[in-house]
Parts: sequence; structure tokens; C-alpha cells
Amino acid sequence: MRIGVLAPLSGPFASGGSAFLQAVTLAAEDANAAGGVLGKRVELVVADTQGRVDIARSEALRLTSREKAFALIGAYLSEETIGVIEVAAASRSVLLVPVAATAEITDHVRREYDRYRYVFRIGYSIPQWAGMMAEFLARQGFTRYAFVGAGIRWNRELALELEKALAPRGITPVYEAFYSPRSPAFEPVAVAAMAKAPEVLVLGDPGGNSAEFMKRLREGGATFPVLSVGGTLGDARIAAALPLNAPLFVQAAAWKGASPAATRYVEKFEKRYGYAPVGYSDTLPFDAAMLLFQALRTAGRADSDAVVKALEAGAFPGIAGTYRFDASHQAVWGTSELPGYVIRWEADGARIVYPAP
Amino acid sequence: MNPVAQVILDGIFTGSTYALIAAGLALILGVVKVVNLSHGAFFSLGAYVAYVLSTKGVTHPAAAALFACVIAFAFGVFLGKSFINPLRSHPFSVAVGSLGFAILFEQAAQILWGPHPVSIGAGPPWAVVSGVVVRRWGAVSLLASVVVLLGLALLLSSRWGLPIKLVAEEEEVAGSVGMDVEKIRYLTFGFASAAAAVAGALLAPAVSIAPTMGRVPLILSLIVVVASGMENVGAIFLLAVGLGLLSNLSAYLVSPQWSYVSLLSVICLLLVLRPMGLSATPLGRDY
Amino acid sequence: MDGFQRKATGALALGAGLLLLLPLAGVDLFLLDVLTTGFLLACYVGSWDIVGGVAGQISLGHALFFGTSTYACALLTSLAGWPFAAAAASAILLSTVAAAVVGTVSARLKGPFIALLTLALGELVHEVMLGQTFFSPREGYSWGGEGGVPVTLPWKALSPWAAYYLGLLFLFLAALGMTRIARSKEGLIWTAIAGSELTARASGVDIARHKRRAFLAAGALAGAAGVGFAAYVGRATSADFSLELSFQAATFSAIGGRGTIVGPVLTALALHAVLQGAGFPPAARVLLYALALLLTLRFFPEGVAGTLRSRLRARRMVSEGADR
Repeated sequence: MRIGVLAPLSGPFASGGSAFLQAVTLAAEDANAAGGVLGKRVELVVADTQGRVDIARSEALRLTSREKAFALIGAYLSEETIGVIEVAAASRSVLLVPVAATAEITDHVRREYDRYRYVFRIGYSIPQWAGMMAEFLARQGFTRYAFVGAGIRWNRELALELEKALAPRGITPVYEAFYSPRSPAFEPVAVAAMAKAPEVLVLGDPGGNSAEFMKRLREGGATFPVLSVGGTLGDARIAAALPLNAPLFVQAAAWKGASPAATRYVEKFEKRYGYAPVGYSDTLPFDAAMLLFQALRTAGRADSDAVVKALEAGAFPGIAGTYRFDASHQAVWGTSELPGYVIRWEADGARIVYPAP
Repeated sequence: MNPVAQVILDGIFTGSTYALIAAGLALILGVVKVVNLSHGAFFSLGAYVAYVLSTKGVTHPAAAALFACVIAFAFGVFLGKSFINPLRSHPFSVAVGSLGFAILFEQAAQILWGPHPVSIGAGPPWAVVSGVVVRRWGAVSLLASVVVLLGLALLLSSRWGLPIKLVAEEEEVAGSVGMDVEKIRYLTFGFASAAAAVAGALLAPAVSIAPTMGRVPLILSLIVVVASGMENVGAIFLLAVGLGLLSNLSAYLVSPQWSYVSLLSVICLLLVLRPMGLSATPLGRDY
Repeated sequence: MDGFQRKATGALALGAGLLLLLPLAGVDLFLLDVLTTGFLLACYVGSWDIVGGVAGQISLGHALFFGTSTYACALLTSLAGWPFAAAAASAILLSTVAAAVVGTVSARLKGPFIALLTLALGELVHEVMLGQTFFSPREGYSWGGEGGVPVTLPWKALSPWAAYYLGLLFLFLAALGMTRIARSKEGLIWTAIAGSELTARASGVDIARHKRRAFLAAGALAGAAGVGFAAYVGRATSADFSLELSFQAATFSAIGGRGTIVGPVLTALALHAVLQGAGFPPAARVLLYALALLLTLRFFPEGVAGTLRSRLRARRMVSEGADR
């Protein structure tokens, strides 16, 4: 049973991509330890998408045509995934998208179901992401927030969706800024945000720049809480180098302590790779692999259409909760079954603060 | 709090970082007469040295700077001796080859320290003067850049710097009076690389340390060196600080999204309007 | 035609012949795909060599012309609703215009200043494209930014064989055209400018005009490669403008032999095929690329074909001397 994994493993996005691969590897080892899937050993075939649409497409072709992968998990960035869904549709291979968030992916399924029905998104869509964050901000009782992101498209979409989700609750943005993705001027953004005296700052950038921005913000004396979308700031080693004189909240798909399965996953991951997972670019790929194996077992045979039917009909438990898919093959996040978590960094590690434990 | 004063001070700090990295590049361009695209990799190397020491409990910046200096000097001399010097008559191949070294370093860093960004605690600000925060890394960067650039200027005007100056300006003469021109070149390359690594080690607590972190600083400092006319130490510092100020002020007053774009636009204009560089000394040679 | 040029044309013809027959040897879809993108990349690298090698104007922002073309194809077909052929023609025109602008503003500059200006321009446009969201006709999401813009194509799915042979034909014609341009009177003037601007100016050459023409030709060819890429991949993304793509043109040309056209074209194709097609693990692929670059330049400072050319010419001079 060959499963293709597509992620950026070299270049600037290798950080997320390698955690992606590590998590899927863990899931495959778990499955093999339990006797494999449909009586066969799971074997991963790996491709480096290099952050580019043409390479992602080409590598997807390699996995489906040369390596005879039955299904694909990936890719990481939206632009890579756009290239991969065409190959999945043409070769009728099931494709599970754990991380890429652009609505273009599920929109294809909605508009041309027959062609793109093999594509499922495990991770949250941008409106769902905004919805989960809005729910958290409302429960914390904030009324004025600032949004800072990287100047890339999906961060802008997230800011827009968050504003839409918060408006009915009477929570308004007092400041919104996107720093340059390549050569950011952090300090003026931190200064301007502080001048607007928000009650909380939402940080939309999941990349390494978010840690640098946090340093400038705290160094400048900002004492309001920060809510990060996750990614780099979910990394315990990064958080350990930040001052915690004001709360740092981080959004995550799952966290240690969310459920027995989540705790087991985190402990296994730490033991195997020597660092704690960030709960996003690793956890979602792990769940994608788990879902694929369960759907295969439900379908009873390695047949793409049968697996699609199983995924459409079923509710599958992962470490983040129980996944169900809507008509556009988007996993339904933000429900009691699949809530999404927010953690808060403390001196001795992170504590789940949402949903209230 | 005075936001405009804060933004201006931070802009000066940002610019002094460009100047600090540019100093070594200028030295290489002036003496070895090649464009070195591996300079950003040496900056990253310094930052990783500081990170590795911090995980071993050594957090003093001087220790990090010293280690970075020694390691980068050794690498720089090796690179200068084995690659840069033999190919010096092919400047394009040297530039592209040095890019190859940068790629090699990035991949080695990813293998050695992982692809994930790592971080060192930044500590509290250095001082707060009437509401304006004097950031620790900023003060360090400003001081270091002034020291390095002044030192460079003094060296070049002193008796000790004479061999370097002679190699830079009259290499035939330098050779004919019995100087080991090749040695001066690779030593210069080593020193310049060490300077980049020291910059990386000193600024490591301020940044996210990642394998590809040296790419953008390299572009900006390269632009500073070439646009300022390459040899004029004062022009390098002023242009670098000017660009830092421009970046921060445009981000604050116009839009942070377009700060890099406005920076690059001004650089393009500058290059088109002052085709010989800011200090406008006509160039006697083709690089 | 001297010995090197005869050998170069021979290499080109041999390469084309091998590639014509290759699919008969039972190549799978993946390798076809790698080679098809390789053809387009090779044309792009060759176009760099026109301006960076033959004319000696080192550009570090060559992706600008490539990206202008892919984005023009995408925006004109998907947003403006133009037919693909019209969009393709406009795309080549636009990248030529972009090249004319860059050629004009850089005409007064020399050496590192041109490299810096093109580098800054390329970075500038890349950054703009990363942050720019284009109007979208669909609800729920937009086009632009890092995710790019789709290209609306007249065909549903192009057969991989058709794409392969079209790409091969395109590269063969483009490479032939490029070697012709390099050997034409204009090309000789470019070579003279690359050799010494001062000498060329002293012999009465209008340097600015000829530099601009070199940019023009290179921009049009890079634009053509961009059209091919847009048509084949079906997407324009901000990576089409990236510094990495600009540097790739310069590095492949350096390995192949700057100014020989055939060297960079064949090197780009061969290296792309090996690095992307041989299934190396990611770290090994990157290390191999860097080492190939370093070792080639260390022992062939003028690149493979460049060093070969120098040796052949030196040998001819020696033999001509002996004849006398």
C-alpha cells in the first residue's frame, strides 16, 4: 500500500514541510505496528515540492505514475496544492490536503464534483479559522483588537474573515497592518499598534518572522496579550526565548492534553524526533494519514471511489477530534466534535485555555 | 511615548545593520575585486554559532563573537585560497560560485541544526530615554557598525593598511615590490567573512535564526556597497542608515506592506540617476 | 563558422535527435513532464545568455521578463476573458516592452551597477506580486499574491506527448534562432561591447542602442518561454518573479559557458533533467547542485562550453601559426 507525501523539504518552507513528513511517517509506523491497512504494509513515497506549483505538479505525477501511489497527502502551500489537485483529478487518486487553506481547493470540488471529488481538505478553511479565533476572543471578553500579518494573500483574507466574524459580537479592529514578507519593518508596526492601545493583538503570520515581531513588540514595552494563528509560535523552543510578562496565546488543531490520543501522539513525536510538535503543520498531516487509513478500512478495498464514498459518509476520529466533511469536501471545524484549540504559554510549558478544560 | 522619535531611532538601528554587513562586502569588493554572494551565509553562520553556544549555557555576546570570528575566518581563508583567488580573472564565475557556497551552507545548516527557525532570548531593552526605547540589538548594531567602519577607514589611511591599499589600487606595483598579493587577498577575504559572522553573532538574539536568513540582508548590503561607490566608508554608512530610515518611516507613515517596495524603488532611482554611485568617483575598472 | 560553432550546432542537432527518439525508449509520464518543463527552462536560460553572455550585461533580475509573460497570460485569459492566442501574443509583447524599459534605464550603467539595478527591479516586482491581490470574479476567494492566478486554456488536457514534442520543437527553434542572432552582425556588435565597451565606442558603435536591443531580444525570448510555461503549467505564481529563478539563469549559464548559447541551453536541460528527474532525496539534490556548480567553475572557469571554445580557438591559432 503506497501513499504519496508531498511537502516542501528544501528552501525557505522546509521547516513546515519536514514536520509534515515526520508526522505522516509516525502515522504510517503506527498503522504498520497495528498490522498495516487492509492486510498490507503502508509504504510512504516522498516528494519535495520546493514551494513551486510546477515542481509540485511534476512530483505528484511521479508519485501517481511511476511510484504507483494509491493516494496522496499534501501539499503544504496553497500554490503547490493547486498544482497537485489537477494530477489527483486526472489520475483519480484520493488527495488529502492537510494544511493549504485557500478556498480555491474546495471551490473546485463544489463546481466540478465529478472531476475533483477525490480531493478532501483536512485542515481548516480561512473562514473556519477566523470563526474559531473569533469565538475565543469573544469568550475572553475582548472588545478592541489589532491585526498584524504578513503581506501575503491568505493573511489578508484571514484578516477580512476575522473582521466579519467579530463584527456581530461588537468586537472591532483598531489597527490592521501587514508587514513585507521578505524584508519586514517590524518596529514601526509594533510602535503603531501600541499607539492604538488594543486589548489584544492577533498575529496572522505563522512563519519565522512572527517570532521576530514578538521580540520587537515585547521589547518596546507592549503588555497586551497576543493571539497567534500558530506555526512558529507554537514551537516550545521559540516560546522559551520570548518574555512571558504578558499572555501569548497560540491557535492549534490539537495539543497535548486535549484527548488521550493527542497526548499519546505528542509523547511519541517528542520521543521520536526530539522536539514537541507545534500542533498545526504536523498534527493536521498526522490526522490526514489516520483518516486515510480508516477510510480504506471502511471501504474494504483499495479503490479510490470507495474511499471517497467512505470519507463522505463517515465520521472519523483523529487526534484533533472527529472529522466530518461537507459537500465541498471541507472538514467541518469549529464544532464540539472538532473544536480547534487555543493554548497559552507559561513558564513551564503550554496550557489549553480554549475550549475551557 | 513619542512614536515618531521611536520610529526614527529604530530606522537608524536597522540601517546600521545593513552597514555592518556591508563593511565586509566593501572590503572584498575593494581589495579582492569580486562580488561575494556567500557573505549572507557567513552572517547566518555567526548567528548559528551564537545559538549553539546559548544552548550550551554560554550567553555572553563576546564569546559568541569570538567563536564566530575564528570559525568564519578559517572558512573564509579556505574559500579565498581554494576558490576565489584562482578564479579571480573570471569575476562572473566567482560571483556565481560564491552563490554555490551560500547554497551549500544553507543545506548544511538545515542538516546540522534542522530546518526550523531557532531563537535566543533578546533580553530587556538597553535603556528607555523619555519614553523612547533604545533596543539592545539596535545599540549593539550601531556601535559595532561605527567601530567596524571607522576601523576600516583608519586602517586604510594608516601605515599598517598600506599593503591592503596598495593591493586594492596598484596590484602590479604591490607584486613588484615583493608583497605576497595572493596572501593579502585571501587574508582580506577571511577578515571580511569573519566580520559578517561577528555581525551575525551579535545580532542573533534579535532575529529568527534559520538556514535562509542571510538572503535578504545580503541583497540590501550589496545594494548599499555598490550604490555608495564601494570604497567610501562614510557614504556606505550614510546610505545604509538612510535606507533604514526610509524603510521604517515609509512603513510607519505610508504602509508597512510596501516598505520594502519603496526602499527598492528609491534604490532603482538612485542607480539610474547616479550611474557611477553616490560618491561619484569615476570607476577606473570594470568589475 | 569556426570549429566551435560547428561542434555546437552538431551538439544541438544530436541532442534534438536523441530527444526525438527518447519517448520510444519507454519513458514514463513523469520523465516526459520533467523534460517538457526542462525545454522551457532551457529556452529561458538561453535568453539570459543573449543579454548576460553574448552582450555581457549581467542581469540578476531576468525572471522579471519571464514572470511578466506568465502573469500576462493568466490575467488576460482568466480576468479579461481574452482567447489564449491573443493573450500569448500580448504577453510576449509586454515582456519585450519590460525588457526595453530595463534596457533603456540600464544603458548608461555598467558592470555591477546593471546587475544591481536588475536585481533590485526583480525583487521589487516580486514583492509587489506577493502582496497584490487581483480582482476575482468568483466569490469566497481572490487571485493573486503567493497563490497566483490561473491560466484559462483552450484545451481541457493537453496530451503529454503533444506537450513534449511541442516543447522540443519550441526549444529547437528558439536555440537555433538564438545561435543565429549571436552570430549575426548585431550579435558580433554585442560581443564587441561585452569584450570592451571602450573599444566598441571608439569604433563608433552606439552602445546604448545595441545594449537595448540585446535586452529586447532576451526579453522576447524569455517571454516566449513564459508563454510556454503558462500554457503547460496552467498557473502564474509569484515564484515566476523570484530571485531564485533569476539566479538560476545566471548559474546554469555559468556552468554551461556564458556567451555560447548552446552551453547554457544544453546544461539547463541536462541539469534540470538529472536534478528533478533522477529522484534524489531533497538534501542530496541541493548539495549535488551546489557541488556541480562549484566544481565545474573551479576547473572550467568559463563554463564547460566556454572553456571548450577557448581551447579550440587556441588550438586553431597554434595550427594557423604553424601553417605560416
